[in-house]
Amino acid sequence: MTRYIAKRFLLMFPTLVAVAVLIFVLVRVVPGDIVELRLVSGGMFVTKEVVEKERIRLGLNKPIWQQFVDWMVGMVRLDLGTSMWTGAPVSQEIAIRLQLSLQLAFMATLIAVVLAVPLGALAAIRRGTWIDYAVQVFSVAGLAVPSFWLGILLILFLLTYFQWLPPLTFTSLWKDPRANLLQLIWPALAVGYRYSAVATRMTRSALLEVLREDYIRTAWSKGLAERVIVRRHALRNALLPVVAVIGLEFAFLIGGLVVTEQVFNLNGIGKLFVEAISRRDYTLIQGLMLLVAFAYVAVNLVIDLLYAWLDPRITYG
Amino acid sequence: MAASITITPRAQPRPRWLGWFIRRYPLGAVAGLAILTMGIAAASATWLAPYDPLAIDFLAMFSRPGPGHWLGTDAFGRDVLSRMIFGAQTALLVGFFASLAGATLGGVIGVVSAYFGSTGDLVIQRLADILISFPLIILAMAIVAILGTGTVNLIAAIALSFVPRAEIIVRASALGIRQTPYLEAARALGAGHWRIIFRHMVPNVVAPYLVILTAFLGQAILLEASLSFLGLGVAEPTPAWGLMLSGAAVDFVQRAPWMAIFPGLAISFMVLAFNMLGDALRDALDPKLRT
Amino acid sequence: MSTRRSGGRTVRSAGLAFLVGILVIGLLASPIPAQAPKPGGTLTYVVSAEPPSFDAHRETTFAMLHPIRPHYNLLVKFDMPNYPKVVGDLAENWTISQDGLTYTFRMRRGVQFHDGSPLTSRDVKASYDKIIFPKGDVVSVRQATYEMVEKIEAPNPTTVVFRLKWPSPSFLANLASPFNWIYKADILEKEPRWYERNVMGTGPFKFVEYVRGSHWAGVRNENYFVSGRPYLDGYRALFIRAVAAQVAAVRSGQALIEFRGFTPAQRDDIVKALGDKVVVQEGGWLCNLLVVFNVNRTPFSDARFRRALTLAIDRWGGSRALSQITLLGPVGGVMRPGSEFATPDSELVRLAGYGRDIGAARAEAKKLLTEARVPEGFEFTLKNRNIPMPYEPAGVFLIDQWRQIGLRVSHVVQETGPYLADLRGGNYEAGIDFSCDFMDEPDVQLHKFISADRSPANYGGYTDRVLDRLFTEQSRTRDPEKRLQLIRQFEKRVLDEKAYQIYVLWWHRIIPHWTKLRGWKMGPAHHLDPDLQDVWIAD
Repeated sequence: MTRYIAKRFLLMFPTLVAVAVLIFVLVRVVPGDIVELRLVSGGMFVTKEVVEKERIRLGLNKPIWQQFVDWMVGMVRLDLGTSMWTGAPVSQEIAIRLQLSLQLAFMATLIAVVLAVPLGALAAIRRGTWIDYAVQVFSVAGLAVPSFWLGILLILFLLTYFQWLPPLTFTSLWKDPRANLLQLIWPALAVGYRYSAVATRMTRSALLEVLREDYIRTAWSKGLAERVIVRRHALRNALLPVVAVIGLEFAFLIGGLVVTEQVFNLNGIGKLFVEAISRRDYTLIQGLMLLVAFAYVAVNLVIDLLYAWLDPRITYG
Repeated sequence: MAASITITPRAQPRPRWLGWFIRRYPLGAVAGLAILTMGIAAASATWLAPYDPLAIDFLAMFSRPGPGHWLGTDAFGRDVLSRMIFGAQTALLVGFFASLAGATLGGVIGVVSAYFGSTGDLVIQRLADILISFPLIILAMAIVAILGTGTVNLIAAIALSFVPRAEIIVRASALGIRQTPYLEAARALGAGHWRIIFRHMVPNVVAPYLVILTAFLGQAILLEASLSFLGLGVAEPTPAWGLMLSGAAVDFVQRAPWMAIFPGLAISFMVLAFNMLGDALRDALDPKLRT
Repeated sequence: MSTRRSGGRTVRSAGLAFLVGILVIGLLASPIPAQAPKPGGTLTYVVSAEPPSFDAHRETTFAMLHPIRPHYNLLVKFDMPNYPKVVGDLAENWTISQDGLTYTFRMRRGVQFHDGSPLTSRDVKASYDKIIFPKGDVVSVRQATYEMVEKIEAPNPTTVVFRLKWPSPSFLANLASPFNWIYKADILEKEPRWYERNVMGTGPFKFVEYVRGSHWAGVRNENYFVSGRPYLDGYRALFIRAVAAQVAAVRSGQALIEFRGFTPAQRDDIVKALGDKVVVQEGGWLCNLLVVFNVNRTPFSDARFRRALTLAIDRWGGSRALSQITLLGPVGGVMRPGSEFATPDSELVRLAGYGRDIGAARAEAKKLLTEARVPEGFEFTLKNRNIPMPYEPAGVFLIDQWRQIGLRVSHVVQETGPYLADLRGGNYEAGIDFSCDFMDEPDVQLHKFISADRSPANYGGYTDRVLDRLFTEQSRTRDPEKRLQLIRQFEKRVLDEKAYQIYVLWWHRIIPHWTKLRGWKMGPAHHLDPDLQDVWIAD
């Protein structure tokens, strides 16, 4: 087992290096130039010499391979470089936003789990009844409604009926829990609904599969109460794929709330990504993409280990 | 010579399809009907729409829904209903071509990669693994940044971000039959690679292919809306639902809520229909598959 | 300050229009009720973008001015209630020699940096040397606008002398540039780029903190050289990018003002929600939208075709309609309408595309199209930025206007990066361009139109030595009347005879703010706001 963990852990690194190479190349193919964006896009006039000087300062005149080597050398020392736009370290730019994004992802996950597991279980047990259909419609709708639109409607609702708006700047949960929750609960709801739809469907189908298994039938024939069967036997086994889905969605939530963060003006990773792309801030884009990939790879690793640990049928070596 | 081999791995039951499907999956059938209706509406938009979707009418800016404009007008006095009907064209166009291109390209790569195996397969798998580690929207945004905005580039960007997902699913299905005896038999009988791929492997991945295709349709429409909302998709004045939701619709949400409500409903409704049809198709074609 | 145009049928509900009307009229009568300024309080305001660096000498964006400007002083500044009058900031007074070549400034005494060290003429000289004669890898973006300066001297601690190579009527106003912050000479000597990441000025507020993506905060400078100022205890600039959220911030009272400008509908939203808790300041804005034609592509190389395109645009009608939904407004030529250099409407209407009779203009446009052998239904592309306000509505408007003379134009909307690259690279047919300046000054506003080899901001790709000559001549003409004539000639050549680049409309600046925010008067440029020295908050 230890060997398996070590092996899986070490396997993460070649993947991340490949991601880094891919991102580096992709970013340079993007047309547009950070220097021009920074100095000219405001409508004021600036001479060519100034633009050229700034480009040299950012190291953009160096050959591409040299820029890549610089970046990689920094990475080995866990240094992601400095943002070309703000001049601050990329890790610092990300760290400020990560707190909000992580918290939002946790809250959305919590909402999703609280909704999804009971609903999905209920639908599976009462398969074919109106409850099942209602749950299915609820969850299919959740997948269909754009969460940013749900966000717009939430804001409209709050404005119209309460003449109130969630706070627009982020306060840390530890500093002022009330202000913090008042800001984040709305986007968490908008995102959590969609997320719960995915998880509900997974719970339902996984549970249905388990309920068909022999040992459950045995339990039925032994005359155990339904609640006991579902709680003690079926649900526990069905939860594994559900945990996997929730884990992967969680990883995607950290960087993928691009549009929702715009709607609620959240200072998160997604908004930073939009800004970095529109400014052609190469170093920051690279750092962010790496973070997103890392989140996914890391969650995947955890899920694999969980599977290996919980499910004796999986062999590892 | 070997052309007479007609073994199929799994005998497909062929009841009278449509009738069976409708009886077995009423929700899917209703969704299919809804999609058909929207498709017809979009195709006949020119006759159906009460106004020219591009016509600016500064005298009718922000009109409430009423007899003149059933769903009201936007910041330019353009008829929201007409723009929504024409917007369905954009949504279906982008959704259909993006998912078709994405699923097909991914499917082809998946089958070929599964069939030939070895190093090429390994490299492709690693690449696909890397690409699926990014959320769809991030991938699509990055590709749009490279290609530029506009309807055609948007289709390409969405299609490309689907490719690794389609590839992985189709490859998994294709792998299952690669080692089966009848394929060995075909190979022993001297059938060429492409012949085997087309005659034997492709028919076996048709079911998962169709399932992911319908699943992608809904996602593509959502992606189109999100990207257009961010100003990275379809350009004004082309009518598109995501675009109708962005900018003025958000800024004026309290003054003219109909601008935000109706296009959002249209998106939700169409994606819902595609998802329900997709679910039904999946259950009918390939119950083991989860997308 | 403008009165509101009431054109056509009003769509807005009558009550609302009435309310806005009353507010604006009230504003015109007496901008702010007289009351003694009250010290104390923290001002919270919205800034719609974030500063790239903290060094004003190397940036062009207001996003850096709005949050950081209150930490600094200038040598001279615009007197906002009496714009474009220039008054001293760190300078007490000044003299200009007869020949216009020597500017001598006497400095205020007793000015201290936030670290307690005294400010002398040496600091002014060092700051301006950095702006005009940058060394090494120091970037100064406005270096070229000071090419008339020969050298700067600091003969004693309270005197600064600027010596010019030729007389320049715009020089004093140029020194009032809101970007020319005075830094500390000792720091610049040690580390010329220190100010990119740090703050050390003499301004009314000291630096407290900057949280990326969230806010910038400042606190009252107790040792400020103007006694009794600033009134505020501190300020907090909130960075909010989404437009709807900016409005929400003001509506909900989380911020009292946004200093750049809102659209009419956003104004109405705020006024409707807050009633007399807000006042609205409106007026001309030193920004405009233009259309630039790529003269290296046919038929754009043909002046007749370009003239047809400008003739097709109903500027007066467009202004009435667009000013209700966008921040576009006044019809104008090369100088901002309402500025001392502007061409009056009575003369403006004689330029192609500015006539009041749009039917006649379009008939003439069609005739020109025939002469230029451009067929009915000719197609071309209009390149635009993907910024919703006001670029996208302007694009939609232009396409509609050109459709009316039988041209089919497709809208190519791009992100700013590729858009700028394409415009610069000549990879376009027609493109929406823009300019935004901090002061009404022909040298600045006309620079865009001179030959492409002389002006990097001219994307049209044309060479016109007549324009170049007129530009240089007006720049050195000290007699205002003569200068104005040269500007008119320049304008007619650019917009009418050659129609190299044409104006869509100028912008109209609208700032709704909480009534309790006092002591601030809106100027024509968002770069000029705010130093917060005189701003206060009433109960």
